[in-house]
Amino acid sequence: MGRRILSHIGLILAVTIVLFPILWVLRTSLVPAQDSYSSAILPSVTLDNYRALFAEKNFGRNYMNSLIVASLSVIVTMPLAAMTGYAFARFRTGGRFARFATLASQMLPPVALALPTFMLFRNVGLTNSLTGLTIVYAAINLPFLTWILMGFFEAIPEDLEGAAMTDGATRWGAFWRVVLPVAAPGIMAAAVLGFILSWNEFLFALILGGSNTATVPVALASLQTSNGVQISNVAAGVSLAILPLMVAAKFIQKYLVEGLSFGSVK
Amino acid sequence: MSEIKLNKVSRDYGLGNFGVRDVSLEIEEGEFMVLLGPSGCGKSTTLRMIAGLEETTDGQISISGRDVTRLAPRHRNVAVVFQSYALYPHMSVRENMRFGMKMRKTPADEQKRRIAQAASVLGLEPYLDRKPSALSGGQRQRVALGRAIVREPDVFLMDEPLSNLDAKLRGEMRQELVKLHRRVGKTTVFVTHDHVEAMTMGDRICIMRNGSIEQVGAPLEVYAKPRNTFVAQFLAAPAMNLIEARLSAEGEVVTLDAGPVAGPLPEREAALYRASVGQGLLFGLRAEDILTRPKPGAQAFEGIVTVLEALGPENLIVVEAGEQSVSVRADRHFLPRIGEKITLYADLAHMHLFDASSGDAIARET
Repeated sequence: MGRRILSHIGLILAVTIVLFPILWVLRTSLVPAQDSYSSAILPSVTLDNYRALFAEKNFGRNYMNSLIVASLSVIVTMPLAAMTGYAFARFRTGGRFARFATLASQMLPPVALALPTFMLFRNVGLTNSLTGLTIVYAAINLPFLTWILMGFFEAIPEDLEGAAMTDGATRWGAFWRVVLPVAAPGIMAAAVLGFILSWNEFLFALILGGSNTATVPVALASLQTSNGVQISNVAAGVSLAILPLMVAAKFIQKYLVEGLSFGSVK
Repeated sequence: MSEIKLNKVSRDYGLGNFGVRDVSLEIEEGEFMVLLGPSGCGKSTTLRMIAGLEETTDGQISISGRDVTRLAPRHRNVAVVFQSYALYPHMSVRENMRFGMKMRKTPADEQKRRIAQAASVLGLEPYLDRKPSALSGGQRQRVALGRAIVREPDVFLMDEPLSNLDAKLRGEMRQELVKLHRRVGKTTVFVTHDHVEAMTMGDRICIMRNGSIEQVGAPLEVYAKPRNTFVAQFLAAPAMNLIEARLSAEGEVVTLDAGPVAGPLPEREAALYRASVGQGLLFGLRAEDILTRPKPGAQAFEGIVTVLEALGPENLIVVEAGEQSVSVRADRHFLPRIGEKITLYADLAHMHLFDASSGDAIARET
């Protein structure tokens, strides 16, 4: 009994340490600006910071931009990544080199690509456009998601496709009717990861975006003005930015656990 | 009309690596053919080539007189039962069985009828709406069978379907499969590395090694007349005893000298093997042909008991006789002590002789 209480105290402490900064941001977003730096926990509660963010800073637009770009890039990438990953897993397409190249592209620092991308996109008129940003995010996500999905497909026994194909399905039919449904948890997990990656991306959003196409991370950064950091607005913005990630985390937890254990179903 | 013909079939992986090489085999309509061999012998590859899941790089495969060598699996009208069962995990038992019929656009009421029938034959009725993950190994095995049966294919292909089951269940399923085959009467190819399955289930067995066929024949025929030492040793446990031997002749009498077992051959064997006098030979005798009681024509020899496995219905005994260790299948009442010196009788009427260098059997026509 005593040991259980002790371990609970330890766990509560650990959780507090992890959660405290996030809770403090939430607290700061909910108190009036003049109380932002006070040590009082909740002197009074207001939604003014949120209101200001939307009324004065065009945050609603930024939020929509982020949602559109992150969702679209995942929607564009997933079918391509699934097919490429399957080809790598089953047909050894491109051999070791293609696999290595896929992984190697992840090792390049993004900033090395930022400038060339900017030049290219400026020439074809894709700067300051959500389409341009979507293309970049899709390109960033593709190798990463391909790699993850390849792993999931490799974990699926090949006999499943053999069974489907002798049962009368084409190779495509076996992929569509058997492999994809079986890999669904893994595919969901990969999609959520891709979404988070795009949602959080800052560098390309900053360089390629303009005032109309700024995403949430860029908008948050712009709150650090020459008049100092508007901490109450930043806190409100961060709280909202975390929201989809919380939802995604809930999802990914469920699917990742399933995704990692689905190979055991034979 | 659903015989299978393999004509000089090969699977070349490149760089001189062959999974299967120049295999020719005819499997008759309605026959239960067992492909038997150690792992890596090409038996599963052969099965997968018949199914179309493995590319045939050379030769022809025909099913029901139709050349299927280059046809996709779905056009061959074969059903495969995999070792892993390969049930679709996201579908219920019913959907698993229905999948193949749906792909082939079997009418819905016919689908229902076949599923109901297969479920009743296999005792799957209570589980039709369960997912495979909620079934035991034996039940999954039945679903895999059911999925194959409802398709009503020309040919059943089974790739070690029993090896994931525990021993008791395996014995039961063995008998059920044979019954099922008798009832359905479809041409079946059954891959296994288990000689008991091969002996008990096959109409004929085809023993393979290193991608080639060693011998094809009815189980008892192959057992009685193994073509070489590999077949002789693979088709039984304990494996056939093999002892280096020579024959010598003096007048009508042909004498065997096989280490501990030495003496004149019986008349019939003497006539048969006279031509091999002086050759380097291997003398083969199955464990059950070494007796614990004297018998006319049986050659006595002595050995020291080193291993005794009392199995219940019988005892397996290993004795050291000279330099040789010899396996003996004795009845359950014969229980020597370890280290005891016992007298055994080699029944030469059932002896085998092989060429020492090639391992091929010295022909005997009986």
